[in-house]
Amino acid sequence: MATTPPATGAVPGAAPSTGWNAATLLVALGAVMLTWELAVRLLGVSPDKLPAPSAVLATIWTGRVALAGAVGTTLYEAVLGLLAGITFGTLSGIAFSRFRLLERMVLPYFVASQAVPIIAFGAIIIMWFGNGVASKAMIAFYLSFFPVAVNTLGGIRRVSEEEIGLLRTFGAGTLTLLWKLQLPTALPSIFTAIRLGAGLALVGAIVGEWFGSSRGLGVVLLTAMFDNQVEQLWAGILLTGLTGTALFALVVFLQKKIAWWHAEV
Amino acid sequence: MIPKIRLQGISKRFVVGSRAAPALEDVNLSLNSGDFVTLVGPSGCGKSTLFNILAGLIAPDPGGELYIDGKLEPADHLLGRVAFMPQRDMLMPWRTVLDNAILAAEIDGVPRAVARERARASLDRFGLRGFEGYHPGQLSGGMRQRVALMRTFLFDRDIMLLDEPFGALDALTRAMMQRWLLEVWEGAKRTVLFITHDIDEAIFLGDRVQVMSARPGHIKTELAVPLPRPRSPDVITSSPFVELKRTLLAAVEDESRKAFAAMNQHVLPDPGEA
Repeated sequence: MATTPPATGAVPGAAPSTGWNAATLLVALGAVMLTWELAVRLLGVSPDKLPAPSAVLATIWTGRVALAGAVGTTLYEAVLGLLAGITFGTLSGIAFSRFRLLERMVLPYFVASQAVPIIAFGAIIIMWFGNGVASKAMIAFYLSFFPVAVNTLGGIRRVSEEEIGLLRTFGAGTLTLLWKLQLPTALPSIFTAIRLGAGLALVGAIVGEWFGSSRGLGVVLLTAMFDNQVEQLWAGILLTGLTGTALFALVVFLQKKIAWWHAEV
Repeated sequence: MIPKIRLQGISKRFVVGSRAAPALEDVNLSLNSGDFVTLVGPSGCGKSTLFNILAGLIAPDPGGELYIDGKLEPADHLLGRVAFMPQRDMLMPWRTVLDNAILAAEIDGVPRAVARERARASLDRFGLRGFEGYHPGQLSGGMRQRVALMRTFLFDRDIMLLDEPFGALDALTRAMMQRWLLEVWEGAKRTVLFITHDIDEAIFLGDRVQVMSARPGHIKTELAVPLPRPRSPDVITSSPFVELKRTLLAAVEDESRKAFAAMNQHVLPDPGEA
């Protein structure tokens, strides 16, 4: 049976070209900024209410060293917490999938823990973990482990009895099943949870900084608010948005590299 | 000659709530080394249960006996002893064609590099040369099935269980795959038990055809297929083939009717209640 392979090795369903998408997005962003700038200038909006983007960018440029440090600190806290959340979430998801009793005993408490707003015990976490990186990473962890745990469990549950049976006829044991079948099957759902967790981790780090810190984007936002520095506040908002987008984009990039396949129906 | 595999009085009933549903009843079957035996029967006759028992995935009811090379074996010892190919190809979307093909061998403990080398050497035989780096999502149904078959062949076992491997393929692809399977089998000389719904397929491929009864399944008829090998595609219009088909159709029809009647008993409301 002679069949010739098609010319390209492209994975079906992959985005046609990311470069073009990026260009489109940049054009849209430019348009928004331009409209904003013109609106502020032509309508004579008071800079106390809404500064022009040019003024915000100028503020960022002036304070670039301090602001870059703030972004770095917050990103570090968020990523640290997120990594811990991914690790703990994945491990608990695996444990739940193996032991139903454990799932029944512990998962409801996981759910309950997420129903308590983090604000409620932010102060306690600062008291326990100090006002350094650890407390913020802790909050980021607390917010991000839950979706990862749930999606790991859900992803592993999607493996059919037939698939497990087939691998067992090849001689697979529990670990082989986990490593070669269940975890890879769950990987796309785990990544979906990480996308969600990345945003939550950033929120967690900033909220943590509000409760007690001397560095980070949360501090930038809080100080600007108290000192009524509107341009600085907008600079903080813009940078927080960019940091969140960058973190999200990184996760999407990794997902496309590592878990690019589509779940089989 | 000692049969490669022999089943004696194999039964299996599943307990659902308080009711016991018999799936297999007193199945007797034996395959000699190198045999290609096909198994036909109505839907739901317990063929898949039989395969799961042979693959070592479920245990038969006590009382039945299972011999491999004349040696009595407990059912759970069959796990890992036969190369099993289920109806769905179950290829892993994250593995390439080559790595899907070596999966069974890899789990069996063959080092990856060695397994890949072996797999590369059989790409031509399975019509997959040039596709080794592709992923299953990029392949047609026929090619996916060949990858699954390659995985089964590379899992080096004397006995192969194929559960309707061509069931989902269109008629032309299926005919091509049947001829191709015979070529591969004649080169590898494995003992094959092949489940199918298709009587033409059962005759064309098999040395013997086993007809299973409606549920609870047992072997109702066995028919030898004295057609010479290698078999050419036009054998299916020859008079010995047509004669065999007539006999088999009668046997299968009979069982299908029973299975259908049993099904309707469950589905249709009791006329007394209307």
